[in-house]
Amino acid sequence: MSDPTLLEIRNLGKRFPARHGREPSPWVIQDLSFSVGTGEFLTIIGPSGAGKSTLLNMIAQIDTASAGEIVFNGETVNSHDARMLRPGFDRRIGYVTQDDNLLPWRTTIDNVLFPIEVQGRLNDETRAQADVLVRAVGLAGFERYYPHELSGGMRKRAALIRTLAYDPPVILMDEPFAAVDAQTRTQLQADLLTLWGLGRKTIIFVTHDITEAIALGDRALVLSRQPTRIAAEHAIPIPRPRNVQDIFALEGFAAVYQRIRSDIQ
Amino acid sequence: MTDAGLTAAMVSDAPAAARKRVVVAGRLLLAVLLVLGWELGARTLGSVFFAAPLDVAARIVTLARSGQLAADVASTLRVSALGFAIACVAGVLLPFLLRRSPRVSTAVEPYIMASMGIPKYALAPWLILWFGIGDLPKLVVVTLMVFYIIFITTTAGIRAVDQRLIAMARVAGAGETAIAREIIWKSLLPFFFTGLKVALPRAVSATIVGEFLVATEGVGHYIEYSRQVADTVGVFAGIVIAIVLVLAINAVVNVIERRALAWRPVEREMEL
Amino acid sequence: MTRWRTYTDRLIVLAVILAAWQVGSFLVGPYWLSSPWAVAARFTAQILNGELIVQGGYTVEEALIGTVIGGVPAVLLPFLLRRHPVIVAILDPFMVGGYGAPKLAFAPLFILWFGIGIESKIALVASVVFFIVYFNTLAGVRALDPRLVQMAQIAGAGERHVARHIVLPAAVPHILAGFRIAVPYAIGGAVIAELISSNRGLGYLVQTGAMNFDTTSVFAAILAATLIVHGANWLLNAAERALLRWRPPPRAVLETGT
Repeated sequence: MSDPTLLEIRNLGKRFPARHGREPSPWVIQDLSFSVGTGEFLTIIGPSGAGKSTLLNMIAQIDTASAGEIVFNGETVNSHDARMLRPGFDRRIGYVTQDDNLLPWRTTIDNVLFPIEVQGRLNDETRAQADVLVRAVGLAGFERYYPHELSGGMRKRAALIRTLAYDPPVILMDEPFAAVDAQTRTQLQADLLTLWGLGRKTIIFVTHDITEAIALGDRALVLSRQPTRIAAEHAIPIPRPRNVQDIFALEGFAAVYQRIRSDIQ
Repeated sequence: MTDAGLTAAMVSDAPAAARKRVVVAGRLLLAVLLVLGWELGARTLGSVFFAAPLDVAARIVTLARSGQLAADVASTLRVSALGFAIACVAGVLLPFLLRRSPRVSTAVEPYIMASMGIPKYALAPWLILWFGIGDLPKLVVVTLMVFYIIFITTTAGIRAVDQRLIAMARVAGAGETAIAREIIWKSLLPFFFTGLKVALPRAVSATIVGEFLVATEGVGHYIEYSRQVADTVGVFAGIVIAIVLVLAINAVVNVIERRALAWRPVEREMEL
Repeated sequence: MTRWRTYTDRLIVLAVILAAWQVGSFLVGPYWLSSPWAVAARFTAQILNGELIVQGGYTVEEALIGTVIGGVPAVLLPFLLRRHPVIVAILDPFMVGGYGAPKLAFAPLFILWFGIGIESKIALVASVVFFIVYFNTLAGVRALDPRLVQMAQIAGAGERHVARHIVLPAAVPHILAGFRIAVPYAIGGAVIAELISSNRGLGYLVQTGAMNFDTTSVFAAILAATLIVHGANWLLNAAERALLRWRPPPRAVLETGT
């Protein structure tokens, strides 16, 4: 039985506005379509410059679409007009960006609680939940530290649980582990899967790393070069729970890897 | 440029040209409103507190015709220029000299910082005691005022010089003076000009303020004297002249800077 | 060990300065240059009998009220105009002109308008402080990282939240810097206004001291004013340290790479 579709992207297109007097700029993204089911972990693979961040920005409603539609839970989102954009789509779409974007003047725990705070949901229960997340990613003891006192990996984790803490149904992730060393990355991937396993949120995870995409996702989409569209789609039949550390040895990995690799060539 | 994370892609519908027109129109409107307000203030608040724009303009013309404008401006500029020159020389030399001996530098530094807190104008009455009413008290105050600005910018500039260039020069056998001249001075120039830009108008305004306290001539003297004899038109006229003078100096310095640094591919600006 | 050497070096320099001063006073006579000892004694006496406290209090009062009257609108304006860049652009040449114009040169005008009382001093200080703090605050509001704003909006923050949680904390360092720069001008401005025309304050003490050939009083008053400037600086530094604990030390910025 397939999951009900939560998010549908139809023929999405993006080109940046033409400069005064010049020709219209080329399409960065053109005719891009895919859908995501509830509770699915979807990974999107693409080389740098393929417009991955732009795609996520449009889904998160912080950038306009030049063409096409975004349908969230059956509701068509108007995203062509900058003035009509609703960032985060009323908190139903969370976004973990490449830069951690932690507020430098807040401690770790205050950063994690920030969305909950602005949503007016700060109470003992939400605080306790945040504490659980802090411990789950190994940041216990660092709650009162300022971002500049944390390592890059720790900041990434804080940014990650900041979004998880307020529980949006869909979470976008833009190469969140790219700027981190390999060992930390594997650990973070394992942490992410554990946390995802607890709540089964819908996640769209963008990366340039094929191994990461296979290790994490139920399904992997491959982006083409510009004008970007979906070049291929691959199911990832590796059973869960997955051992990320030994992903290479798992059954089915090599086959999927080869298929995706040849798509990208 | 590739997409690098979140960028605010909110492009306004109104093209930049239309917005620029609104801004220019707004500025003109505001300027007109200010002048009207000035005129209104003169009419309602009475001639003791406010002088009408036309009267002020007429007075400036009279002063120009009689030659007093030129004489006062010359006096003010004379003192500013002299004070500025002395302060520049001292303000540039001292950091270079101090550089020779780091030990002396660290020993002396807190006292220089401490002396910076002295309100220099407060020294004026004491200076008048010594030198009487004349150019000298003003000169000393202006020189002190400018000195600190130049000193601080020069010190900062020297500190910012790339140590590796200096090490390279030493290896090549250059003596201290050569190093100072070639490497430090050249690297220093942008900082120096930033200091100049700030210091020159300050020198002029410091002279004007000094003239409030002690003078028989000069723009500041004219303003203060007019106040003492309740000549409101004179006060306004003097202030307008003072503002124009300072802004003109500002503009001149900007032009000189553009010319002098035109060859530089990168302009390092320092916020003061 | 060089720490000790620095301390002793500095003590030696201090001794040299005081000695030169003393010698100078001896040479030209106490009417022209009061000796360090006399100044210290007079200073202490005037503190103990309250004179310097009272007069210093007037000067501080003028500087403080003027700073508040000039500083508060200067901080508010960039925040209020944050989403109206057109208005900011319209105001810009007037603000730059106001900043470049020598406000201290306006002292006689303020005295003409407000009399020789405290109001003219406050007006002068306010006009000086306003432009300095305005430009620094404006820079702080402009230095805002748009990505942080977007992050907050996605998390559900409305305009009020963004202003309070993102714009304000980011601007605080700049606002403090503005006040730090403005403080010596504020106190200097108050003193100048008092020098020109006043019957109270440290500037008044300096003026009367000079007129009575009492250089000891003059120096004691100047010393008091200097201490006030340094004291205000120290306070602002302490405020900065307390409010800005979250700031990375300069080297750390280079390491993480921005």
